[in-house]
Amino acid sequence: MATTATFNIGSWDTFHNNGPWPTKILYETSLETQGNMPLWFDRYNDAALEIQKLIISALNNQEGFRAYGSAWSMSNIAHHKDNMQYNAAMNMKKTIADDELHQNSSYKQENLFFFQCGNVIKEISKFVFDNGKSLKATGASNGQTIGGCLSTGVHGSGWDVGAVQDSVVGLNLIIGDGPLDIVYLERDTQPALSNVFADRIKARIIRNDDLFNSALVGLGSFGFIHGVVIETEDRFLLKRYVKKISRQDALDLAMTLDFENANFKIPEEIDENGKGNLPYHYKVFINPYVDDPNYVVELMYKKKYTDNYPDPLPNIKTAIYRDLIILFTKIAERYQSSIPTLIKILQTSILPPVDLEAIGTLGEIFWDAAYQGPAFACSIGVDYRDSNKALDLLVKLAREEGPIPGIYAMRFVKQSKATLAFTKFPVTCMIEIDGLIWNAEDNNMISLAQFSTRIIEVLQENNIPFTLHWGKNADWSFPGIIGYMYGENANIWKQCRSTLLTEKAAILFSNEFLIDTKLNEYTPNQNISVV
Amino acid sequence: MLFSSCYSVRIVNRDGIPEPDPLNTSRDFYKGKKVRILDTVITLKPLEGEFYLIEKCASGGFYSFEYRVTLGGALLSAITFGKKRKVQIKYVCLKESN
Repeated sequence: MATTATFNIGSWDTFHNNGPWPTKILYETSLETQGNMPLWFDRYNDAALEIQKLIISALNNQEGFRAYGSAWSMSNIAHHKDNMQYNAAMNMKKTIADDELHQNSSYKQENLFFFQCGNVIKEISKFVFDNGKSLKATGASNGQTIGGCLSTGVHGSGWDVGAVQDSVVGLNLIIGDGPLDIVYLERDTQPALSNVFADRIKARIIRNDDLFNSALVGLGSFGFIHGVVIETEDRFLLKRYVKKISRQDALDLAMTLDFENANFKIPEEIDENGKGNLPYHYKVFINPYVDDPNYVVELMYKKKYTDNYPDPLPNIKTAIYRDLIILFTKIAERYQSSIPTLIKILQTSILPPVDLEAIGTLGEIFWDAAYQGPAFACSIGVDYRDSNKALDLLVKLAREEGPIPGIYAMRFVKQSKATLAFTKFPVTCMIEIDGLIWNAEDNNMISLAQFSTRIIEVLQENNIPFTLHWGKNADWSFPGIIGYMYGENANIWKQCRSTLLTEKAAILFSNEFLIDTKLNEYTPNQNISVV
Repeated sequence: MLFSSCYSVRIVNRDGIPEPDPLNTSRDFYKGKKVRILDTVITLKPLEGEFYLIEKCASGGFYSFEYRVTLGGALLSAITFGKKRKVQIKYVCLKESN
């Protein structure tokens, strides 16, 4: 039988120390060993029962319950004050058998895989690689659990690919304590797996596009994500280039994504007509405190997979002294004017080296994250055609009301079908502000909370539609922010949640983040026909 | 002299996934990882020249392995003609694959 260890932790923090927040209990669930329970579905279903036991306990105590994985989110989206369940050890994975593919599936059987919630991106990449496949996209690193990726909308910079959730085609959710509360959810218009598969995981089948699209970026609030079906593609390599190009060229590309006709071209990436190839990935790095006529940009181009390529990972990896980072933060807090200089000093460690070229698989290029310490990140999604205007405003904000110890970047992501995906624009430019957590109290420095509020105010004042990354720092209590960002989609999301969950379960799976954003609102007796 | 005689060497499994530990909140490489520590002195008998430390990972493999070299350890070995070996090792197992 699967087992769960209980820890009365008192408080809980994110991986990058954006808390802590008071927390009563942390549960850590472990699977039964394969030797004791050899059959795959027996172990998987046994784990589902273990989760239901925890749900029953929370319901009996009239408490909330929230699953989490790697705790990489910087907002409090993963936190619950009552019961938090750590599911990284729930990492079963499988290929799809012949009779498990839906008869009307448009997906190739060999491209589909089923992963339990606690699989991290690195182990998923390895598993699919060993089956000749690759994920379509990941975040910039590989430590997030798949459940966490979906819940918060983790993305890379695949401007023609999408975020991680956009490869997910089926969800196994546990939405309560009864046998009918284990559901398998997928789109009605794009079924993936058969009833045979659903029977094997003892799940009630729901095929409904609205429900699926809402649950896809479910903010951890559509029940316990026990498993996901992911569509992969054949293995490929990414050729990575880091270049320093004129600021104007970098920003023109951000505004147009017209790589074919851009001024800037990489000689190796030109077609027979002299036009630029379309990259898989485009990223622009910006130091907000320097009027640099040139920007560092990173481009990656998809290449056919071959075993024969040089290892893109160094076999010696160094890191900055942790104490040095702490020292820099202290200096920044005490002497605000030092921040631009400190960023310039750290720039060589933060930014990739110019003229770097490498080739590797998706999993190798977006490998392990080096920095484990305290950090903040604000990430704002805008239509790529608004990227320059939004960037100018946000740089001005940092210069005039900051400084803050952070550096800017822009990444680009294809539109998602998920109802509350922050990648909602035809191509979303994610303007990212990443840096070290600072203490503003001592020196009249703008605080992260104030800075986050001003981001919203500045963009609203300038009528720029935007979204905020669910897993990053933001003023989530800003009045009307969810309606401003998502309009009617926010209502559809809440209606779908009210349809799928009982009111009791909706309360169980709500947390402070959901309450702050008012997405916890429940409307009984919704009309969406689901079963 | 002090710095060069006291340092760590860490080997990391490139494609491995570390065994996680949600309670490990250290602010270094080991954050979130399940760390096992060996800190002992091995005493060799007169005819013995080497030794093995036999450890078990449920997953069957190691994710990382860090060996600490200290001045005290080197001196101990020197003054005992290699018969006492100070061992300071931190290791992380691979996460079990299921």
